[in-house]
Amino acid sequence: MDVLVVGSGIAGVSFAEEFRKLAPDHSVTLLTAETLGYYSRPLLSHGFTRDDIETRIILRRFDQLEQTGIRVLSGREAVALDPAGHRLDCRAEPDQTASLAYDRLVLAPGSAALIPPPFLGTPEKFKVLNSLTDLIGLRRLRDEVRCSGSQPRWAVIGGGLIGCEAASDLARAGDRVTLFHALPRLMERQLVEEDSADLLAVLQNDHVDVRLDAQVQGFAGEPANLAVVTQGGMEDGFHGILVACGFKPRIEVARNAGIATRRGIVVDTFLATDASDVYAIGDAAECADGRLYAYVTPIRSQALWLARHLAGLTQEPWQPPAFKPKAKVHGFTAVHPYLF
Amino acid sequence: MSEYKKYVCVVCGFIYDEKLGDPENDIPPGTRWADVPDDWVCPDCGAAKVDFDLMVI
Repeated sequence: MDVLVVGSGIAGVSFAEEFRKLAPDHSVTLLTAETLGYYSRPLLSHGFTRDDIETRIILRRFDQLEQTGIRVLSGREAVALDPAGHRLDCRAEPDQTASLAYDRLVLAPGSAALIPPPFLGTPEKFKVLNSLTDLIGLRRLRDEVRCSGSQPRWAVIGGGLIGCEAASDLARAGDRVTLFHALPRLMERQLVEEDSADLLAVLQNDHVDVRLDAQVQGFAGEPANLAVVTQGGMEDGFHGILVACGFKPRIEVARNAGIATRRGIVVDTFLATDASDVYAIGDAAECADGRLYAYVTPIRSQALWLARHLAGLTQEPWQPPAFKPKAKVHGFTAVHPYLF
Repeated sequence: MSEYKKYVCVVCGFIYDEKLGDPENDIPPGTRWADVPDDWVCPDCGAAKVDFDLMVI
């Protein structure tokens, strides 16, 4: 049996490694747009205070994965899926496509950063923190500003989990940070009000300038003097603007193939899509309970369960495990359980 | 007293060393893996205790 996996994040790699272990007689191919190896995505938002992050974040180089018997096709993007023909087309160079046959297909494409529509017209004015390439770019920008003798000044847009983590880490690294959040309290989707208030105090104590109820309407300015436009006016003087407004599951390939999608790729309790032999796991999978699990513990649980299932070792449906999300904001611990 | 063991977070590579514990999160030095509470999470990435493997050197 040939198993094709799309995506080299926690979901795709955990599945591929486990399936190799459980079913060594089957072949596993991992298709990924990434080129830098399998790295720890949760560490991205902690990537400014650590000098060794760019090497430490790599958990496995792709050649190390290949040594375990997984065939890795890196730097290639999945572009079209033919579920009836059991084929997936991928592209390396713009004009160079290849078609891969599979017996089972596991979609673990992950998510892109969600960019609110008002920002789409000025992509050159802001950055995101969604991949190791993004992190390396942000670190180079910091280095350049510091080499010129200035203290880097950042606008972080979005006071959710990633925005708060990044703002905290940039501030601890010695930068000036202004955090803009559209709602009256931070991380309102994960925290109860009392914990949001504690989080605000922790960030302010680290000299993060937090603007609540700030509706950001767009960006202006020049590279070394970027500006954030809000309902109250314009604030300039930023070296970088980081948009952290949520995630957008990569569902296009599945949707264009006629597979059911909503916010994510719709799967049943066996993590199967409505196309035969096509499965989806990770934060792009919309589970039978209507949820997208964007946390490490349930994603790994999906990957390990699916490996057992496809190896013929379990016929019981996947059950989401109990898990505790935790924001990695320096000095902050929520008193109450996280909402999910 | 057997020697201290190390456990690695399969998600981010963080190493829990029984000798060092995780004092920042109320796990004193010398705490055996079996005595680390089940609701303890990886201080670096938030992964659960079940997402750690014994390090074999």
